[in-house]
Amino acid sequence: MTALSPIDYSLLQPRKSRISAFVVISVVLHVVVAGAGLWLSKQERTPRIDLDAKPIKASLVRLGKERDETFLPRKEPKPPPPPKEVKAPEPTPVAATEPVPVPKPAAIPIPTPEAKPEPAPQPVKGEKTGEARRNDLFAAFDRTAEAAPDEELEGAADGDPLGDSAVQEGERYYGMLTAQIKRNYSLPDTLSEQERLYLKALIRIKIGRAGQLLDATLVKASENPQFDNAVLAAVKRTAPFSPPPEHLVAQLEDRGVPMEFGP
Amino acid sequence: MKRSLLLLAVLLLSVPALAQEQVLQISGANFRPVPMAVAPPSSAGAEAAAKSFDEALRFDLAVLGIFQMLDPKGFLADANEGLDASAIRFSRWSDVGAESLVKTVVSQQGETLKVEARVYDVGSAKQVQRFVEEGHVNTPRRLAHRVADAIYTHYTREPGPFSTGRITYTRQNGRNRSVWVADWDGSHAQVAASSGLDILPDLSIDGTVAFTSYRSGNPSLWILPKGGKAQRISNGSRTTTGAAWSPDGKRIAYAQAKGEGTQIFVANADGSGAQQITDTAAFINTSPAWSPDGKRIAFVSNRFGNPQIFVMNADGSGVQRLTYQGKYNQTPAWSPRGDTIAFTARDERNAFDVFLIDVGTRKVTRLTQGQGNNEEPTFSPNGRLVMFTSTRSGSSQLWVSTLDGNTQHRLPMKAGVYLAPAWSRVR
Repeated sequence: MTALSPIDYSLLQPRKSRISAFVVISVVLHVVVAGAGLWLSKQERTPRIDLDAKPIKASLVRLGKERDETFLPRKEPKPPPPPKEVKAPEPTPVAATEPVPVPKPAAIPIPTPEAKPEPAPQPVKGEKTGEARRNDLFAAFDRTAEAAPDEELEGAADGDPLGDSAVQEGERYYGMLTAQIKRNYSLPDTLSEQERLYLKALIRIKIGRAGQLLDATLVKASENPQFDNAVLAAVKRTAPFSPPPEHLVAQLEDRGVPMEFGP
Repeated sequence: MKRSLLLLAVLLLSVPALAQEQVLQISGANFRPVPMAVAPPSSAGAEAAAKSFDEALRFDLAVLGIFQMLDPKGFLADANEGLDASAIRFSRWSDVGAESLVKTVVSQQGETLKVEARVYDVGSAKQVQRFVEEGHVNTPRRLAHRVADAIYTHYTREPGPFSTGRITYTRQNGRNRSVWVADWDGSHAQVAASSGLDILPDLSIDGTVAFTSYRSGNPSLWILPKGGKAQRISNGSRTTTGAAWSPDGKRIAYAQAKGEGTQIFVANADGSGAQQITDTAAFINTSPAWSPDGKRIAFVSNRFGNPQIFVMNADGSGVQRLTYQGKYNQTPAWSPRGDTIAFTARDERNAFDVFLIDVGTRKVTRLTQGQGNNEEPTFSPNGRLVMFTSTRSGSSQLWVSTLDGNTQHRLPMKAGVYLAPAWSRVR
């Protein structure tokens, strides 16, 4: 160990310093941290926002006080009446010699008040006016409404999410068929309470490739013809159905599918 | 070896089972009224009668609630279209939405009015029923009631409510009140008693009217046999009110003041052999109503503080409280079907309304709400309709409702104040 000379204490004397090492380490660390941050931010997915999705609206309401049990019951307000069913009248056959502009089936005839009456259209035998014309308009709306895909029928709650198996697809089709018919299945109020407990009717329907109803026959009638008629009417009203999956086409065309109806 | 054979057999048997078709099950239908078109009747020289018949038939079918009556203004078919299926253009009826079509012919021969009615299923273009009814030329509405009942029975396989019964009610005229008897819709009305204050009538199965009258001072019980003369059947010294005939018409139940309270008595049809069947000295027991089998009686009692509906056996035993909701329940009426009692109740908003209670489950349902005061219910003879008084159109009028309360109509009666209807099956 050598003794330090006074020169060694002099501030003017250059000394060995470790600052550069610290600077280098610091820079490296910063680069690593910044790089890691950059890399992580790349890794994280940006949240996908589906702008087409229907927003879920929720409104907060005050919870109602439960009705006193000793009070007499009140009637629930009636739901709004269902939209009136308007039946499209059969298109009137037009003589081939008369040149009559045939409207496209899907087109919706919109009455335009500005439309000039001249030149007057040729009065066609059986031309629709007034109520019939209005019915046409409603019928056209109905048709367009029917053409729209039904969201409720997309998949079943207990169905296979992929739905790639033929069997499952078949079952899904039958489920869809059942749901479609059920929506049109109404029975007359005239059925007595007693009959509502036991009436059953078995029918067989045949469905074409495009979903059209080929045949609906009563295999086993109930004891009440009103009920049987209502069941057949529900099937006919529902047609056309969704087109069946490929592997069911032959079966549905040839043998059809049996359906048992109860009230 | 045996086991493998068995396995093979099981497999072979299960092949047809696997191949068995799937039967789709569909249920849970929506129930809806049947759209019905009643074509204006064709009439040969009996226009006025045909018009009355048509009005009554439409009204009867409308109040049932199971048919959606289509407005004749919208009909597209030819007014002179025939009665036969071959003459009917069913497409014109289906175009207006009709699923059921009723066609009628009204004809007059001397004093006899004849009606032929046919019911068609529009979808299949087939006749499903044909009825012929005859009656006096002055009774087209009665013929309509019979046709309406026949149509109802055809569709529901139950007896109709219109032609088998009559109603009795009180009509107020100034300070007087009189008792009337009429067909179910108020037509063919005849006064039964009009001596000052005659109130609270009931009609027995053989057409005898029982009512409360003040004609001898104290309110007492009187009866008027069909075609006979009114007679008092209660002791005039005690206030007696609210007579109710047993379903067989052989007994009569009423309330009579006794001491501080009012008790229910049951007597023979002529008032003899009266027996007191309630005994709660300080309380009021009133408004007796018989069950359809004549074995039980519903009544009102304030024995627990406020008026509530009770039931007991016809001899007064086995008293049970029926209503626990509401603080003012009165005027019970027992359905001829036996399962339901209709009553008037004042709700917490102080409105009087008609309610139904299931005798078995004691579930209370409401028939009227928010339309004036609705009181004094009585059932149709088949138990499918309830008649009651309502102030919804001003003065107290008679209204009829289906049991779900969804279809309610005012009876087509002359202007006036009508109270306390009782609708009974009459032989």
